[in-house]
Amino acid sequence: MKSILLRFGELYLKGNNRYIFENKLIENIKFSLKSFTYKFEKTFGRYIISNYSQSEEFEIIKKLKNVFGLHSLSIAEEVDSIEEDIVKEVLKINVANKSFKVFVKRADKNFNKSSMVFASELGEKLLKKNSSSKVDLYNPQVEIHIDIRMNGKSYIFTNNIKCQGGLPLGTSGKGLLLLSGGIDSPVAGYLIGKRGMKIEAIHFHSYPYTSEQAKDKVIQLAKRLTSYLGEIKLHIVSFTKVQEEIHKNCLSEYMITIMRRIMMRIAEQIAEQNSLQAVITGESLGQVASQTIESMMVTGNVLKHIPILRPCIAMDKEDIIKVSNEIDTYDISILPYEDCCTVFLPKNPIIKPSLERCEKEEKKLNLEELVLDCLKNEEIIILN
Amino acid sequence: MIYLDNAATTPMFLDALEIYKKYAVNNFYNPSAVYSEGFAIKKELDEIKNDILKKLNAKNGNIIFTSGATESNNLAILGSKKSGSWEYVFTQGEHPSVYNVAKELEKQGNVVHFVKLQENGQVDYDKLKGVLNDRTRLISTIHVNNETGAVNDVIKIEKLRKTFAQNALLHVDGVQAFCKIPVNLNNVDIDLYTISAHKFHGPKGVGALYIKNMNLLRNITFGGGQEFGIRSGTENVPAIMSMGYVLKKIDVENNYKKVKILKKSFLDIISKDNNIKFYDNESPYILSLSFKGVNGETLMRELQSNGVLVGIGSACSSKKAGNRILESMGESIEKIKTHIRVSFNAYQEEKDIEDAAKIILKTYRNLFERVK
Repeated sequence: MKSILLRFGELYLKGNNRYIFENKLIENIKFSLKSFTYKFEKTFGRYIISNYSQSEEFEIIKKLKNVFGLHSLSIAEEVDSIEEDIVKEVLKINVANKSFKVFVKRADKNFNKSSMVFASELGEKLLKKNSSSKVDLYNPQVEIHIDIRMNGKSYIFTNNIKCQGGLPLGTSGKGLLLLSGGIDSPVAGYLIGKRGMKIEAIHFHSYPYTSEQAKDKVIQLAKRLTSYLGEIKLHIVSFTKVQEEIHKNCLSEYMITIMRRIMMRIAEQIAEQNSLQAVITGESLGQVASQTIESMMVTGNVLKHIPILRPCIAMDKEDIIKVSNEIDTYDISILPYEDCCTVFLPKNPIIKPSLERCEKEEKKLNLEELVLDCLKNEEIIILN
Repeated sequence: MIYLDNAATTPMFLDALEIYKKYAVNNFYNPSAVYSEGFAIKKELDEIKNDILKKLNAKNGNIIFTSGATESNNLAILGSKKSGSWEYVFTQGEHPSVYNVAKELEKQGNVVHFVKLQENGQVDYDKLKGVLNDRTRLISTIHVNNETGAVNDVIKIEKLRKTFAQNALLHVDGVQAFCKIPVNLNNVDIDLYTISAHKFHGPKGVGALYIKNMNLLRNITFGGGQEFGIRSGTENVPAIMSMGYVLKKIDVENNYKKVKILKKSFLDIISKDNNIKFYDNESPYILSLSFKGVNGETLMRELQSNGVLVGIGSACSSKKAGNRILESMGESIEKIKTHIRVSFNAYQEEKDIEDAAKIILKTYRNLFERVK
């Protein structure tokens, strides 16, 4: 019978809290497989999925590959831990004209042969059946694993499929992702999710300066992220009035800095209202004028209670694009619609803004009213 | 909602839908079938062809039904292609369904000329003359420009062809002209003429190509040999019959007069603001306007919120530098960004057009204040 062996990565580091991580991981696995029927079994250091429909195997694997906290998986043949049955199954593996190595892991010490002895016996039998193949202990073309577990079952497999790794989603709290519609912010959401943080997202749009298509693009991006991050609550905030007021009243080179400071203020309020513990951005150090260390300092300064997390901070653009391609958000991100950062773009945005100057410029605005106005007209979309 | 984007598409006549239904559900037979029901449909399609020829004032020639302008234009251009060292001539004011075919020809290694436009939006006839020669295989020009309403003088172009490029075929993309402005192929020797039904209140997905001499065109798709082998595939009978019904109903001259009045009423209101400039071109159906200090796309969206739908031209997406057609007329990229396109149909109420003009004026002024 076919079954899937699941291995988890870093959880063994977690000492006494380990059960919290494991329970979350199991919950997430079950959630991702909610539309399938199968049997779930927990053994030491492994989970086993069995009794599923063969025709759904591909879809099940696809889902499991996106579950954070899982390190790798293997599709295995499950047999009773009886020597003849294992031998019979191993001999079905095609090693003709290939080099191979047999790995035996014996968790069940009641099994009558030691790992080493059993492995070499199996190797011999395989060689006898396939005269064209040979054993290679260092660089085999086929790795044959026999896992003899405590549950009286043994698992035979030759594949190892890499999964996401990271920590189970939901074990590192919940944050608010600033989602612009560009390439970087979805990557930031994915990366922070991989460290176990669940997210809600916030998007600022500036109709009529930005289009309905630009807003729809962000909804599509958030939707794509749900395949890793589960349900996402997307807060859409109209930023038109804020931009017009800054444009009218403030120094043009400070436009973007002030805009981002106001975004942060709004984000913090929404985070507080929704019990979120951090603001997450796609910023990468030095990528554009608003992402210099000076700009980040001035922008971050407005947050009083929660940190800003910037998972892409030390990544080159091409590395961000690589991840973006891997998580399938790139093709949406490059659709040609303006995001609200490109509206009222000053000719020379300031690279090293001063906090003092910023605060002076902001005095020209009725900040409280602007922020409140944005919060009042927030639109919420739940994506899953 | 007041709809001023009729150059993009027009509402279909409601009774044309009845015709569509009749030929989709009751008289659904395949016109290639040899039993009399099928043959009767074939005869009806032939009648529509005659009606189109009449509407074009063409004394001879044939009509091939297609899936619309893009297919007609592709067929006209690629079907005229000949082996050997021939040259192909286009204006810079072409619709993408011509322009991008021309680009493809160029990519394939052919000599392709793109002739600049004059400030008024018409092709520069002197420059056109300059590129014509004995090796010219095809001249392809738009009749009424879809962004500016400028009308190219096809009689003049045909004379240039006759004098300087005797071996060339002349293709005219008449999508914004047919059933809108008077078209008379009796006066002018045009080889190929493209029409599209949804621009004149017919259904989408159907159009036609006028072909003066079938022997000069070669098929570019292959199949069952319908339409003299030039365009294989079962004819879209319900859409063709529905297009045929609509074109018979349209009184071009009367509509032309009516739309002229609509345009005048519109401009009477709009021209009160000196910050709004417009190209008052020959076709009354299309107006290109520029609004000092605001982005056309932004204005378009704000107008949508205020109940008026306008166009921004077919090449104006935000990442593109500008608009090829306006650029070729010598407009700066900065100014091109301030453009919108307004287009009318003859069945609109004057009152609505006036209301729309007032809304445009008010919306523009409000936006101008916000962004200045």
